[in-house]
Amino acid sequence: MEENILELRNVTKTFGDFVAVDSVDFELQAGEIHAILGENGAGKSTLMNLIYGLYHPSDGRIYVTDREKWRYRLRAKSPRDAIATGIGMVHQHFMLVENLTVAENIALSLGQFRAGVAKSISENGSYKDWFGKFLFKKDEAIRITEALSERFGLTVDPSTLVRSLSVGLKQRVEILKALAVDARILILDEPTAVLSPQEVEGFFTILRKLQADGRAIIFISHKMKEVLEISDRITVLRRGKKVYLGPTGELTARELAREMIGEDINEVERSANADIGSDPPDNVLQLSNLTVLGDRDEVAVSDVSMESRRGEIVGIAGVDGNGQRELAEAIMGLRHNASGTISILGANPKGIKAVRQRGVGYIPEDRQTTGVIAAFSVTENLLLNVTHLDNLTHWNVLNQKRKRETAEQLITDYDIRPPVADTPASSLSGGNQQKIVIAREISLHPDLLIAVNPTRGLDVNAARYVHENLLAQRNQKKSVLLISTELDEVLLLSDRLYVMSRGKLIEATAQRNDIETLGLLMTGESHTDLSDGLDES
Amino acid sequence: MKLLKKINFHWVATPVIILASAFVTNAVIMLLCHYNPLEAYQAAVSGAFGNGRKLGETLVKSTPFLMTGLSVAMAFRCGIWNIGAEGQFLVGALTATWFGTKLAPVFPHTPWIAVPICLCLAALAGGIWGLIPAILKVARGVNEVISTIMLNYVALHLVSMMIDGGPLQETAQRGPQSDRIAEWVFLPRVLPPHRVHLGIIIAVVLAIILTFILFRTAFGFQLRAVGEGAAAAEAAGISIVQNTLRVFFISGALAGLGGAVELTALTRRLFLNFSPGYGYTAIAVALLAKLNPLVTVAAALLFGALTTGSYSMQREVGISDKVTLVMQATILLFVIGYSSVQLFRKRAASHSE
Repeated sequence: MEENILELRNVTKTFGDFVAVDSVDFELQAGEIHAILGENGAGKSTLMNLIYGLYHPSDGRIYVTDREKWRYRLRAKSPRDAIATGIGMVHQHFMLVENLTVAENIALSLGQFRAGVAKSISENGSYKDWFGKFLFKKDEAIRITEALSERFGLTVDPSTLVRSLSVGLKQRVEILKALAVDARILILDEPTAVLSPQEVEGFFTILRKLQADGRAIIFISHKMKEVLEISDRITVLRRGKKVYLGPTGELTARELAREMIGEDINEVERSANADIGSDPPDNVLQLSNLTVLGDRDEVAVSDVSMESRRGEIVGIAGVDGNGQRELAEAIMGLRHNASGTISILGANPKGIKAVRQRGVGYIPEDRQTTGVIAAFSVTENLLLNVTHLDNLTHWNVLNQKRKRETAEQLITDYDIRPPVADTPASSLSGGNQQKIVIAREISLHPDLLIAVNPTRGLDVNAARYVHENLLAQRNQKKSVLLISTELDEVLLLSDRLYVMSRGKLIEATAQRNDIETLGLLMTGESHTDLSDGLDES
Repeated sequence: MKLLKKINFHWVATPVIILASAFVTNAVIMLLCHYNPLEAYQAAVSGAFGNGRKLGETLVKSTPFLMTGLSVAMAFRCGIWNIGAEGQFLVGALTATWFGTKLAPVFPHTPWIAVPICLCLAALAGGIWGLIPAILKVARGVNEVISTIMLNYVALHLVSMMIDGGPLQETAQRGPQSDRIAEWVFLPRVLPPHRVHLGIIIAVVLAIILTFILFRTAFGFQLRAVGEGAAAAEAAGISIVQNTLRVFFISGALAGLGGAVELTALTRRLFLNFSPGYGYTAIAVALLAKLNPLVTVAAALLFGALTTGSYSMQREVGISDKVTLVMQATILLFVIGYSSVQLFRKRAASHSE
């Protein structure tokens, strides 16, 4: 039996009255990939933050075994202490300086951890006390980065700027950063969320290589399939408690899901939409040759033409950062440097207000900055929509009674927790913040709803609820444009399917059952090669 | 009752902590200068609130702080860092001078007509002055902090150009000041001969109206939304450009009105150093009041009391009025310090989500 290099004994973390982690035991062995499964809010992130020193346990102990096999109690005051003991974490949102090169980012993380780098690099024979000097030695940084890349097979050009890297490569840099300080325990928080199916394969190869190198990996995910593929053992958390620990393969995906939510999951049923075609084709949204420039004036959306009709959900799948956000923002009138035409219900409204008043709802990608206003109360956030405001005002004065009633109704209908209208949105969990956005946008039943990653960060039940609402929109003869990085979600809900890659939109309704091809389309494999291949088959 | 519930501990505690820290710090400073702080504070309190006349004088001194404080509070609420209240205040005063000395004879010789016109014109001028940085920001992305500070100097020199050899200099041409404005442009006093004037009432009414606008109207809601989360507000269909222009105009108009009130009610002529920096102190006033117009009334009163209090500290204990300036600065430092602590906590809290 392998020995544990990390042990959690009875670890509890409370926030006020709320018990986020409830006397959890957890063990991590050297050289294993240990998956942690759990719904959103099950305490996965809190647990990891406890290990990483961002939080301090309210009760219980954490032990680590160091390189010399000494077992001692870890009292990490901050991530710095955790890193020093060999714990590295790759956050879901990357912690990279976008305007520095790869080598500079790695040097940045090395600066504080002399011991780590001394060890890891001296094994490669290229270590010099370069960081101890006041001057930044670029060549040394590049050399170290190259040595690390080579040793772990994580190829990345040390002198490119991080901001010009793809998401997959950025993640690679994050892992390199952790390895540079010789992390023996790697915590990966939802690492595959941003990767395409092909990239996930490559990523798993890297994980196996690290595993073979004797490093232990904590793999946090809610994607059952991936967990079953990559992990050695699985721990399931539910409402802060450990409910299951066992070797991978002991339970089926369905059984694991039951452990996660405590009941069987039911996915929504998408009824065949018989109504399509019975009406004259009624285009709610019509895009012709739309080209949109991104934040740095690069072509983000390139010559896109598509339409979306009443009574259908049009899905746009794709890996993050392929122009989906820019496309959605252009349709909503939030981006002005666009050419081509956007026709909504037969008109060309200019600017977000006009677009919204035309009957378009919008669930933006980033709820933290564009979905909700953190300092505003739940009520205020629920009203944050010109249409709602128009309905509740008379001579510009808000009707307090109706404002309260509307908010309370929405809070009940959409099960926003805690159900307190006056709490600031910042005190709600991410999932509940998302519910605010959903409630606000769907409750008006817009003719066209643009939903970008509407279930990101939601637990299974909440996601299911959103799916039901989107389908209800469709069944009420409204139109929904669903832009999502979750391929499963797009496949489940959409009547017609597009894949977006490098700003191009490719209709892929016919390939909906061919995950392989969809994956290739998503990674932007040459589209002509692909259609050749399709012709043959 | 509902209002009482909203005023939670934190709301009350913050200003109290800030003020207590500032008073203690200043006591230490006074001790170092060999003054008795208790004696000084006693003199200050009796000088500011000792009797009806003194209280009235405190009200008079509070008015410009309140008007400019409201101006700053409205702008900051919308996330507009208008540091230009000083310039807008001066432009308002300049307009009132121009009206009071040049245009007034054309109008009926009664304050009930001339004064409202004068105040409206001054507010309009302040608003237009405020629109300059707004347009620069909206059209060219110029940072309003820089443009408003620059415009303060432009306004200052515009005033001196006008009254020092310019068209508004007094007819006798003895010094750099304007003629006295016509008598029917004097802002009426509430209890003559005392100096308490209608301006303080106007300012308080405005504070109430602004509170209503901010918290009870769609316009105020949108304005706050832009201030708290511009991206989310924009995605919701609220126009950032429109709100920027509107709030700059309102903010400028309030400060401009403040300048006109000060001029028509008290000085009645324009001179160099007309404003001892009201527009800058206003930032402290507004921040101390947490950008709430109603609370700004209290904050302005405090700064007014500091001013009158310092006179009596000077008279009775012989402490320089510079001490008041130190005091105001200390309060400002504690306000900034405390709000950054809160911001830090808020960030920590959102991290721990």
